Amino acid sequence: MLAIKELLGGKLKFGLIALAIGLVVALTMLMSAMSEGLITGMTGAKGSLAADALVFQGDTYLALERSVLSAEALEEVASAPGVASSYAVGHVIVSVDSSAEEFDARVFGLGDRFDQLPIVEGTTAAPGPGEAIIDITAKANGVEIGDTLHLTPADAELTVVAFTEHRRYVMAPAIYTDMATWERLYLASALGTMAEGEGVSATAMGEAAERITGGASIVAVDLAPGTTVESLQAELGGGFEVTTPEEAALAGNGMPVMILAVDGIQVVSLVIGALVIGVFFYITTLHKTGQIAAIKALGASNAYVYRQLLLQITILVTAAAGVGVALALGAGGSMPPTMAFDPQVGRWLVSLAAVYAMAYLGSLFSLRSILKIDPATALDHSGH
Amino acid sequence: MSLLAVRNITKTYGSGRTQVTALEDVSFELDRGKLLAVLGPSGSGKTTLLSIVAGLLRPTAGEILIDDEPVHLHGSRAAAAFRREHVGIVFQDHHLVPYLSAAENLLLVPHFSGRITREDRERALALLAEFGLAERASHTPAELSGGERQRVAIARALMNSPEIMLVDEPTSNLDTERGKHVVDLLRSHIHGRDMTCIMVTHDARMAEAADDVLRIVDGRVAADLPA
Ligand SMILES: Nc1ncnc2c1ncn2[C@@H]1O[C@H](COP(=O)(O)OP(=O)(O)O)[C@@H](O)[C@H]1O
Ligand SMILES: [Mg+2]
Repeated sequence: MLAIKELLGGKLKFGLIALAIGLVVALTMLMSAMSEGLITGMTGAKGSLAADALVFQGDTYLALERSVLSAEALEEVASAPGVASSYAVGHVIVSVDSSAEEFDARVFGLGDRFDQLPIVEGTTAAPGPGEAIIDITAKANGVEIGDTLHLTPADAELTVVAFTEHRRYVMAPAIYTDMATWERLYLASALGTMAEGEGVSATAMGEAAERITGGASIVAVDLAPGTTVESLQAELGGGFEVTTPEEAALAGNGMPVMILAVDGIQVVSLVIGALVIGVFFYITTLHKTGQIAAIKALGASNAYVYRQLLLQITILVTAAAGVGVALALGAGGSMPPTMAFDPQVGRWLVSLAAVYAMAYLGSLFSLRSILKIDPATALDHSGH
Repeated sequence: MSLLAVRNITKTYGSGRTQVTALEDVSFELDRGKLLAVLGPSGSGKTTLLSIVAGLLRPTAGEILIDDEPVHLHGSRAAAAFRREHVGIVFQDHHLVPYLSAAENLLLVPHFSGRITREDRERALALLAEFGLAERASHTPAELSGGERQRVAIARALMNSPEIMLVDEPTSNLDTERGKHVVDLLRSHIHGRDMTCIMVTHDARMAEAADDVLRIVDGRVAADLPA
């Protein structure tokens, strides 16, 4: 009763503090959605590859950009004990200069496993030679179904037959083609770059071309029962690097540092929120020690006084959570689709639970001062 | 048999060089239906005496019997329970809860000892009416005058029908006329009831309205001192 009457009696004061906490909650929510968005944007195409394990060239630190596997290497992996099935995955960086806005993209050759791509628009058939499925975020660059994309430096053309989603890599949309098309693009861009360099002999270029023919960047494998990533790694030896798609996604491109930074901001904002709530209620408690002493003298127990405080905190944090979620959704809704914003109910609930937990933790400051208030001081006008 | 017996109460604060003797060997008795004024200058130990009778402070020596119950032996929980049942306190600073109306401030008393019943609500309104506050029941303390606030505080102290009513400087923030009015209301409530009241004041004009006056100077009962 006291708690709610007090809130109603101080609407401005408590409203402002709820707003302040709401902003902290919004920041936490945004950070959580953005870290999720950052992860999908940076690694969606890599981490979502349907496979138990990804096999990279040795010593490439799980970088798609550096890994090259020859036809023989692919065969070696495919026939290794414990490999139930496998498919080749190619990767190459391109720029698209045919659309309204020029943009970078990542071309993925994808064996025969196009069924793993969620199609949100266009045909669900596997792309034929010269055809491509592209991540929906390319729409923001003016790409539509049926468009012909001109790629540099390969100087090649692809026809868009479908859109997929959550398939970006290093924030660039992924373009999926069959392996033959990928190989053509890879050679054109690799050799195109080599040809620009001086003193590169035609023989060297020929050797490079031969090495990649029938090859890929990495190979995705499904493991036979009883085989683990570690046992396959031991089987294949140092010429290969074996890992799960999830771990591959979080490796490289500065991902560990980025995730640490975003998570760090979340933790710091939670701590700020706890301090704001804790200090606010601590100061209000100190401010009304006389009143608390009086209601204790009238018969209120410490437990009663603390329960009122917890009730106020719960009401305030709940109001703040409403404000915060609304603000975060508003901010997220006004972001362009290419921005990294991917709200996840589960993560938001965890963040909200953390806000409540921190708020109750902050209330312990006040509990200490509540316990210390002597009801005898209610009678003592001189403030002894 | 008197309702309240205070026997040889001594209270010292602190220890060593900072030790203060606030009360020294104070004794008196008080009958039902009587209003006792405790008169003394500031710092003479009046508030200390009230706090001890209320069970909020423990005496250094001596005993307090309320209806033969030795309340000085109570621990803080028992003292709190005894206060809720048998004692009403009016603080010098009235200590009304600022965001509650006058009636709600009265209802705090039953609220702290359990549930608020319909009888409690009726009693609250009746007490407010008795103290001339029928029209002020839904006003917050900020909307009341100083005298009205003091009367709300007295009405609140009466909510639990206490046997002992303890009132600290009820008139210190009021002019003489309003102060006397408050004391008269208090006395007429007590007369003919099975209760007693100690009112502390430093103002001899307020003490005039009481049934008995106990003078204390420097923590001692003045009558015990050589003239
Ligand atoms: N908590 C305390 N600690 C130390 N000294 C106190 C305390 N409370 C009161 N005193 C001292 O005891 C004496 C009596 O105080 P008090 O009972 O408040 O007097 P009164 O109410 O008559 O003004 C004063 O000298 C005062 O300074
Ligand atoms: Mg005093």
